[in-house]
Amino acid sequence: MLAMAEIAGDEAPTPPPPISGEVSTDPYTSTPASTGSNNPPLRTTKPGVKRLILTASVLLSFLVGLPFLLKSTEIHRSPLPSDAITALAHRLHSTPPSFPCGLHAVFLRSVPDRSDASLTRRLEQSISAQLQLLPATSTAGNVSVSVTVESAGGCSSSSSNVDSGWQCGTVTSADLVIGDEVFDELLHSALGSGGGDGSRVYTVVVVEVDDAEGMRIVVGKHRHAWVVGKADEVKAVSVIGKVFAKYFMNGGIEEGEAGIGKGEFMPVGSDGNVVLSFSLLNADPSDWVYDWDFEKIGERMLNPVVEALRPIAEINIESQVLYHTPKSSYSYSDDKLGGNVLSMGDIPFFVNSNEWHLDTSISATGRSKVLQFVVYIPSARECPLYLQLPDGRLSKTNAFISPMWGGVLIWNPPDCSLDSKKTHGTRKKMSSQELMETIEIFIGQLRQLFGLKPSYLSQNMDMPTKFVVSEKGFTEWELDLLYRHHARSNLLSCLTTLESLSSLVRSLPRMIVMDEIGRQVELSLEAANLAQGNATLGISDSSAVYATRARALAEDAFFHPSIMSISYASIEHYFAIYMPFFAPVSLHVLLAAIKELKRYKAERAKYSAFLASQATSS
Amino acid sequence: MAAHSRGHPAMRERGFSPAGTSPYWWIRPCAGSILFLSLLFLFLFTAAAASAAAPEEEKFTEELLLRPLPDRKALAYFHFRSSAPPAASVGRHHHLFPKAISQLVKKYHISELELSFTQGRWNYEQWGGFDPMSTNNAKPPGVELWGFKLNEGNLRYGALPREAVCTENLTPWLKLLPYRDKAGIASLLYRPSIYKGYYHSQKLKLRSSQSLGIILDQTLTVVLQPNTVSGEQLHSNHGQLQPNWSMRHLFNRKLSGKCLVSKSSRVFIEVDKGIVDNVNKSGSDLSWSNEFFVLSNSPDKLIKGQNHVEIQSSFLYVYDASNYTEEKPLDVGITWKLPLVWTCTPSPFHASRFLMGSGNERGSIALSFMSTNLHKQISGSPTDCSIKAVIFQVVPWYVKVYYHSLEIFIDGSRKTVSEVVDKIHVIPSEDKLLPGTLEMLLRFPCSMQSGTLTLDFDRGFLHIDEYPPDANQGFDIPSALVSFPEFSSARSYPEIDPVLGSPLLENFQEDSVVKSYTEVLLVPLTTPDFSMPYNVITFTCTVLALYFGSLLNALRRRIGEEERELKKTVVILKKWQLLASILYRKFVDELF
Repeated sequence: MLAMAEIAGDEAPTPPPPISGEVSTDPYTSTPASTGSNNPPLRTTKPGVKRLILTASVLLSFLVGLPFLLKSTEIHRSPLPSDAITALAHRLHSTPPSFPCGLHAVFLRSVPDRSDASLTRRLEQSISAQLQLLPATSTAGNVSVSVTVESAGGCSSSSSNVDSGWQCGTVTSADLVIGDEVFDELLHSALGSGGGDGSRVYTVVVVEVDDAEGMRIVVGKHRHAWVVGKADEVKAVSVIGKVFAKYFMNGGIEEGEAGIGKGEFMPVGSDGNVVLSFSLLNADPSDWVYDWDFEKIGERMLNPVVEALRPIAEINIESQVLYHTPKSSYSYSDDKLGGNVLSMGDIPFFVNSNEWHLDTSISATGRSKVLQFVVYIPSARECPLYLQLPDGRLSKTNAFISPMWGGVLIWNPPDCSLDSKKTHGTRKKMSSQELMETIEIFIGQLRQLFGLKPSYLSQNMDMPTKFVVSEKGFTEWELDLLYRHHARSNLLSCLTTLESLSSLVRSLPRMIVMDEIGRQVELSLEAANLAQGNATLGISDSSAVYATRARALAEDAFFHPSIMSISYASIEHYFAIYMPFFAPVSLHVLLAAIKELKRYKAERAKYSAFLASQATSS
Repeated sequence: MAAHSRGHPAMRERGFSPAGTSPYWWIRPCAGSILFLSLLFLFLFTAAAASAAAPEEEKFTEELLLRPLPDRKALAYFHFRSSAPPAASVGRHHHLFPKAISQLVKKYHISELELSFTQGRWNYEQWGGFDPMSTNNAKPPGVELWGFKLNEGNLRYGALPREAVCTENLTPWLKLLPYRDKAGIASLLYRPSIYKGYYHSQKLKLRSSQSLGIILDQTLTVVLQPNTVSGEQLHSNHGQLQPNWSMRHLFNRKLSGKCLVSKSSRVFIEVDKGIVDNVNKSGSDLSWSNEFFVLSNSPDKLIKGQNHVEIQSSFLYVYDASNYTEEKPLDVGITWKLPLVWTCTPSPFHASRFLMGSGNERGSIALSFMSTNLHKQISGSPTDCSIKAVIFQVVPWYVKVYYHSLEIFIDGSRKTVSEVVDKIHVIPSEDKLLPGTLEMLLRFPCSMQSGTLTLDFDRGFLHIDEYPPDANQGFDIPSALVSFPEFSSARSYPEIDPVLGSPLLENFQEDSVVKSYTEVLLVPLTTPDFSMPYNVITFTCTVLALYFGSLLNALRRRIGEEERELKKTVVILKKWQLLASILYRKFVDELF
């Protein structure tokens, strides 16, 4: 009441309130009837648009300026070629990289035979048909088959496009007597440099020997195998098909077995480096201390392996001797077996990561991989220590592998069973013979870690099969297999990384993407395309090299340190900086525009009412 | 005062070789601790000459030296040496030598490196300042690193004065030993005992060359309070017996044999010159059981030590750890029979450093030298002789030192710079790039009792992003290093059998100048209000928004119309008021 009175008092100097019904003197507005009159408010002049235009233009300039502000405050994002990534994904999924290769069957006949083109063509067709029946492998592409039949009468080849480089007349069945290893080399020289660059050609030679009983298969260390024995055509064709599909294409891995092509992982670091770290662990040096001459013997034995695997990985070899490294699982004494026994169930706890300080290698920085190969020398208390297989037998090698980690071999010292007190506190050396045996087991473990069979002893193939062992640890056809799988799995892994990166960048709009990341992605795509191109030509080793590079670059881009800087450009930060200005100002501008628009509409209604009343009154 | 990029040849000959600096830094966190922060780079020093011929195979030795200290404490000094001969397989195949270290040496072409982690400060007055122990093993608090790369004149220096040292630093250090702490002398390293001490300094020093291969010295220096029964310490001051201690008291452990792969494994008990003089004065001989003290075990060997002026200075009792086993462990200790007071030989001057001035703008650093009158003890040198001292100091760039403001006071009177400073070498700091470095060769008169150097500085401002966490605590200036090139702390052991091959004693025999570190300085800098950027943003935006809003209102408001509207509302309100009063009256009427 008081306030009202005051306001009432204040209005004294203002002009008296207008009388009802009168038209206001105001040029713009008419005052509505204030004394309860029902007359609609009228307006005699057109409502002005000055203020409306003013507020609207301010609002508009704000709206126009908004994109400029957003543009000026946006963070740097290098455009990633997501289209190319999707294209690559599409290509890899629709047509997985497959390597075409050739199969050349050679029939060496002892009897003079009429060999004509129809025979070779028939054989070729039946081998092709045989290959269709056998399960295909994931990496094998088209297989082109050719057949050569050589006999005393002559030599005829099917006119196929497979170039195995077979020189007729170089090898005869009489050469078999020189032994398998020499015969293997002889065949290799007979095949010459066929298939050196292009797609791989595998040769299976069927040597017909009349006096042999049954058949015998020998798989050489190059890209050929031979079958010795008396066989009819059907049998020979089926053997050729089996040898090709089972060994040359699948590395002898049976259906359902773990091995190459089954798991996607290769124990190779994403930058293509592998460190093979060999450690000699003296579990309790107070009993005995052993040393080894690894630098001499180990290097000599492992260098061919390193060379052979170079297209897949750059391998470094290191060795060390560690002390006071007890195992962390329990073994129990078994009198029947004459020693301490460690069952299969305890193996997962064998590696004692608290006490085994294996992981010190400066060359294993970044994303390269270390494969640990450990020789464990048990203490006197637990010596001799044996690994027991689930069926109760003792392990022949006394060693086990851990996929992606490495291998462990338990080495019982020769004086183990003797009175340990006699040898107390002396330093001894592993003899070079024992060290060589140890390294052979480790090479077997390395083969296994790469997904191959440690050896083919337990293979059954209906007939005696022999494998010529390569001093490299890996035969040529095995390496082909590794290259193919490596290229394929690396390409897929590169694709996964690139896809993850692209979706990550898309899902985080405030993430800074450096130009370098974009460049690495482009290079990675380029390398992936090259790898795929080489794969279609069947050049497996260079395809593996490019696939490794593609994967390394993709990983480099994904793990680029600048990706971490995302937290410094968060959306909260952005709002905290711009809100204090834009929130109050935009409120003003919006309200002003709305009010002005409303008023203009109301006034225009009044004016049109006035015009209408004028029209009716006139 | 322009900076020279290379040291003066004369200075280099004396062992001080200032060289160019590099703006980058390499460090491998081999001690597990995170070494981020403002590392300081620069140059310096050469090292002592390498010793011994190249060994044929990898070797490991372990040694421990125990010494009673005048202030009732005991010093334990662990010394482990691993050496790898020069071979092609270095960095790849190793038997005893840690693979990680050799790979580090190979990758970064390190020719010398010294990394120390220290907790506590070496007490130069009580624990000595003139012996190899204080010269080589007294290190500044925190982390200090000296590095020297092959085929490169630059030596790099880094210091983290505030780094806390703990077991997490000891574990990776132990991993470099073949047996870690599982056997041998390292098994004495019982963590609660060694971290309870007054001073703890673990050090890793490696040298490598084509002829030597790699030599890695790992040392741990601890000063411990012997854990004795309190009843023995009742008496005060003079006439008080020193506390009796043994290994078990110090470490809570006994030594049960050697590490099997070590070439030699020895324990030394060293008695100081002070004790030796006292015993000699009393006329008794220095056997292991004499008038003043008795050792718990009979030593395998006695070695007399001499300092550089051929004065009998210390006495070593040697125990071979390989003679002891699990069943018969070694627990050597000292039992005092008579009270004994002695002092350790100090360095020629006691150096300390402090800040002067108040406020957050400028101040000065003062370095003071107090004479210990050592020259009188050593030789009755003439009064006009002089003592040389070298000061090496690194100052971070945000403490802007005015090197021209150097003032020198000797015994209270001001001297001109040229009177005292023989040589000076300054590398001025570069903002955010390079710390300032000062190296000075001073010549003090022998008769000087106290000398002070002062340098003025301005406290710089850092960018808001550059302040470390808890910036209000202040910024550390690393310890200054003061060395006395005319004094050598080397010992000689004339009776020692060269076949003994003790790396610990070899180190003691190496010619090294007497040096000491000053305190770390804590400089409080002006720290900004770290929420300031946001405050500024919000405040500015609010002002702008107010201005904008009122401008917009002024443009679009219609004053005349609003006033009429206001009056109209007043009229309407009055009507309502009337209505309300009528209703009220009616209501009141009906009520009564």
